[in-house]
Amino acid sequence: MLLVPCPHCGPRNQSDLRLVGESHSRPNPNTATREEWGSYLYLRDNPADWLTETWYCRAGCRQFFKLERNTATNEFRNPPMPGDKIGIAPYTTIDVGSSGNQAGANADGGATFTRRMDGGEK
Amino acid sequence: MTASNANGARARLGGLLGRGGDRPPRYSAGALARKGLTGEAWPRVWQDHDLKKTYDVIIIGAGVHGLATAYYLATNHGITNVAVLDKGYVGGGGSGRNTAIVRSNYLTPEGVAFYDRSLDLYNSMAADLNINVMFSERGHMTLAHTDSALRTMHWRAEVNKLQGINSSVIGPDEVKGLAPSLDTTSHPRYPILGALYHPPGGIIRHDAVNWGYARGADHLGVEIHQKTEVYDILVQGGELAEGKGAGGKVTGVRTNRGDISAPIVVNCTAGWGSLISAMAGVRLPITTHPLEAAVTEPVKVFLPTVVVSGSLHVYVSQTDRGELVFGASVDPLNTYSMRGSLSFTEELAGHILELMPSVSKMRLLRQWAGLCDMTPDYSPIMGFTPVEGHLTDVGWGTYGFKAGPVSGETMAECIATNTTPKLIEPFKLERFNDGTLVGEKGAAAVGH
Repeated sequence: MLLVPCPHCGPRNQSDLRLVGESHSRPNPNTATREEWGSYLYLRDNPADWLTETWYCRAGCRQFFKLERNTATNEFRNPPMPGDKIGIAPYTTIDVGSSGNQAGANADGGATFTRRMDGGEK
Repeated sequence: MTASNANGARARLGGLLGRGGDRPPRYSAGALARKGLTGEAWPRVWQDHDLKKTYDVIIIGAGVHGLATAYYLATNHGITNVAVLDKGYVGGGGSGRNTAIVRSNYLTPEGVAFYDRSLDLYNSMAADLNINVMFSERGHMTLAHTDSALRTMHWRAEVNKLQGINSSVIGPDEVKGLAPSLDTTSHPRYPILGALYHPPGGIIRHDAVNWGYARGADHLGVEIHQKTEVYDILVQGGELAEGKGAGGKVTGVRTNRGDISAPIVVNCTAGWGSLISAMAGVRLPITTHPLEAAVTEPVKVFLPTVVVSGSLHVYVSQTDRGELVFGASVDPLNTYSMRGSLSFTEELAGHILELMPSVSKMRLLRQWAGLCDMTPDYSPIMGFTPVEGHLTDVGWGTYGFKAGPVSGETMAECIATNTTPKLIEPFKLERFNDGTLVGEKGAAAVGH
């Protein structure tokens, strides 16, 4: 079992955390092509090398953050420090209504919601 | 199919007449006695070759999938100018690390059809390849510990019956009758409520399967190159750097023994599949996870069937030597490291003792791990890719060994006819763009 350097809780057992997976930036769902969306959902680099991943500290601070891990040796490097805003994506408004509808405007039944996204550039 | 049957019949006839015909020297009781008495050496099972400059087909990965593909290319389609490259040795990856269980009681019609054909091929393998693969058709039990699991078992049994697969749900008394060492009382935390019983399932000697295909392919003219690592796949005309990527065309590979040219390069490298296809500029929906297994000291045979428990994440069978072989689900962490972990052993021991309290004094001999190439829908990725001439047979995850023969047969057909056979049509790479995923929930014996 690995010791995972949580930026808030310190080193914790791997079983206290969940590995969310490779960190990738999320394409804009309003403009992404089918291929871009398919790539985002399914395709992975899966290198035998250093990889930036998203972790979720489920039994501790319950925060999402990014860590760099070498998938061949399972070493971590440059773990974030408490207070680093690493991996916390900004709140983004997603328009899931009909195209052309202004974000936030709900006139013709298009729903608008905000959600915190995991991803984005570090 | 007909060609392979004819070939098998010819091999059997050759055996009866005591001569191999165009086959390699045959293994038989007579030959064993003669060589035992005279000390005469057995001929090499497969030969070393110098790398040629060019081949018709290059297969990367000398495991059961790669070797079976090469063998069926030679037998069914007469394509023998084939090189099988491996950075290690024959059957050194997942093909030699799995728990050697074969079965066909899957859930999706696609899966059932596929594995049933594989089981047919395993059944006739010893005769076809003239090697004792020690196939023991001892039955396979998937235990149900909850009402919902029992419902799923009934569902699977009905799907299987519709497909003509021998599979049925049995109660705790019948479970006890088949495997008396199992605790079928109401005492355990997860009591045994029933099981999906699949008589045609069993275990097989995985090394013999690898060696049989290697030997058969080698004799038909296929070259097996061990310790030949592929550094790069050479592609021209693609949209990415160096001409790689979609729209490109494969021209060959670069290895530690020099460049080779070939119009077709097949990726059969399981856990390393992402790295190999990335060399051609193809990204795959695969993450690599280790799966750990363990084996105990040998004892007198007491467990006559393969026992699987989804809720307890464990499967166990007893080999002909008397060792108990255990496997579990994949580790939650994607990694290329094959180090064993104490947490695996602890969990495994706890779960096994819940099933079979009587084995508490048995000692583990060793544990190991193999790399599984997990896909989002637990189904493989077979056939063509956006790069012309680059084919994949990867994404098998936790159950590649069971599918080895039929994958080889269908991949060979795919390569030889340049069309996707119907049996593997659902497993194409494009399904991840189309959203037509094949959710094979019966994929691994244990939960995901």
